Amino acid sequence: MVARLAIGTTGLALFLAAPHVLPEFRMFEICLIAATALVVLGQIVVTGFAGQISLAQAAFVGLGGYGPAILAATWGLPLWLGIPATAAVVGVGGFVLGQMTLRVSGHYLALATLAFTAIVQLALVHCDVLTGGAAGMAMPTFQIFGITLSKGSELYYLVLPITVLLFLVTGNVMRSRFGRGLAALRQSETAAEAMGLNVRRYKAAAFAASGFLGAIGGAMLALLSTYLDPAQFGITQSIYYLAIAVVGGMLSPVGIIVASAIFVFIPEWLQAFQSYLGLVFALLLLGFIVLRPDGLASLRPSALRLGLSRSGEGSR
Amino acid sequence: MSEPLLSVNDVTVRFGGIVALNGVSIDVASGAIQAVIGPNGAGKSTLLNVVTGLYAASGGAISFAGKRIDGAPSHLVSRSGIARTFQNTELFGEMSAIENVMVGSDRHHSYGLGSAAVHDGRYRRRETEARREAQDLLALVGLQDQQDTAASALPFGSQRRLEIARALATRPRLLLLDEPAAGLRAAEVEDLTRILLALRVERGLTILVIDHVMALVMAISDRISVLNFGRKIADGDPDSVRKSPAVIKAYLGEKAAHAFSA
Repeated sequence: MVARLAIGTTGLALFLAAPHVLPEFRMFEICLIAATALVVLGQIVVTGFAGQISLAQAAFVGLGGYGPAILAATWGLPLWLGIPATAAVVGVGGFVLGQMTLRVSGHYLALATLAFTAIVQLALVHCDVLTGGAAGMAMPTFQIFGITLSKGSELYYLVLPITVLLFLVTGNVMRSRFGRGLAALRQSETAAEAMGLNVRRYKAAAFAASGFLGAIGGAMLALLSTYLDPAQFGITQSIYYLAIAVVGGMLSPVGIIVASAIFVFIPEWLQAFQSYLGLVFALLLLGFIVLRPDGLASLRPSALRLGLSRSGEGSR
Repeated sequence: MSEPLLSVNDVTVRFGGIVALNGVSIDVASGAIQAVIGPNGAGKSTLLNVVTGLYAASGGAISFAGKRIDGAPSHLVSRSGIARTFQNTELFGEMSAIENVMVGSDRHHSYGLGSAAVHDGRYRRRETEARREAQDLLALVGLQDQQDTAASALPFGSQRRLEIARALATRPRLLLLDEPAAGLRAAEVEDLTRILLALRVERGLTILVIDHVMALVMAISDRISVLNFGRKIADGDPDSVRKSPAVIKAYLGEKAAHAFSA
């Protein structure tokens, strides 16, 4: 309890101090890491906890960005309404996608979600009237109570609290009967069903959560980049999110924050080798799959993992 | 005679050209401990799988407590009050023993997504209840000291007992056991026998057990049905089954033949 209070206070102090000591581009990077981690959180709910390979994350991210932008452009709906409304719809969409694709599993599920991403990207390119087609469209600025948040150091006050909140909520849900149900069906679907769990619904709910988190994260990313380019929401990007999840550890929310930071910083560290960036990401991914299949989280098991661990000696 | 709790009526299961169960009828009376025996490939596990909704019946009807359950999905069969264990144990290996049991009982200690999100008072009360019930069940099967051990790290005999605790956590009226004694040592079989007999007395449970281990089957069963090549060849109390010529030929005869050739 005391430790928790201490962590909370330190966190709050750091949160308030950061904008005063860090330059704008660092603040931007912090927001980028947080938003990316949020997207990947959606990925690990479905792929880590529920054990279903999904390559739909980039599509959720794209929809989460385009949705509020289109609502604002067409009906003048403010972003603070458009973003959660879109995320809720994408969440429902994720549930439906889950119900439709979960008749298949493994490689076939991966392919089905891959197709979903491709279809969404094509739709974004071809609905010129709404989305601006291949040229993309501008993301409006975020305004609430007459305050405008546009720079990294301003969006910080929006992105960070939302990320922290959703990480805490997701962590809590995973440490409840719902998380236990997901862990159970991941380990034995047959036994989970024999325990009275509606496995299909659980999996579809995991897809819904991944859609919701992906869409919120996508909206944050769109606010940061201020522009929506359909080329950013393709299959490659889905694999990028999956790679971060693998490096972070499929069952570790803390692990994926660290991994998101690594993936955001790598391009900066390797500025001289820009053309080899893809190779670096690929080697990183391969290295983790071969050497550390449980990701960064496996380096410090007790601190980084949730209760329902992958190779645990029990949880507590 | 009162209506049976479980009634399998003329059930046939086909896999392509193979007939795994051929017009099998078995009734299980409420409060009974009944056994199904038969040589390998006789269709015993198929029978459990069709009752629990894992396989679809190609023909016939299955009723539980007066309601048709054939064609119902597995999780609804479980919720109607039928729990089972698995021949090759299907535990949630990465989870601790107590978490395994809690998966079974979670439905009876339910709370909403909102409670789960903020871990409020309702969440804490329900989790405490669920944990306590799980601890009681672990104690019942003698695993109270292993509650935090990962299921996959338990010795085989304990895994078997954990499966029983987990099945009981769903609060069933009928417990189906798929070869619970296979691979157990004699002392472990005795423990299991004691647990099963106690369950009937203390919880009013009806048990249908499938097994090869005669020591267990003969010690606990009120009634035994014998399957061979997907057909029921005998049905009755242990004594009459033991003396049935068809059983000796199909079941014990086969064993004798094995012993002879060895």
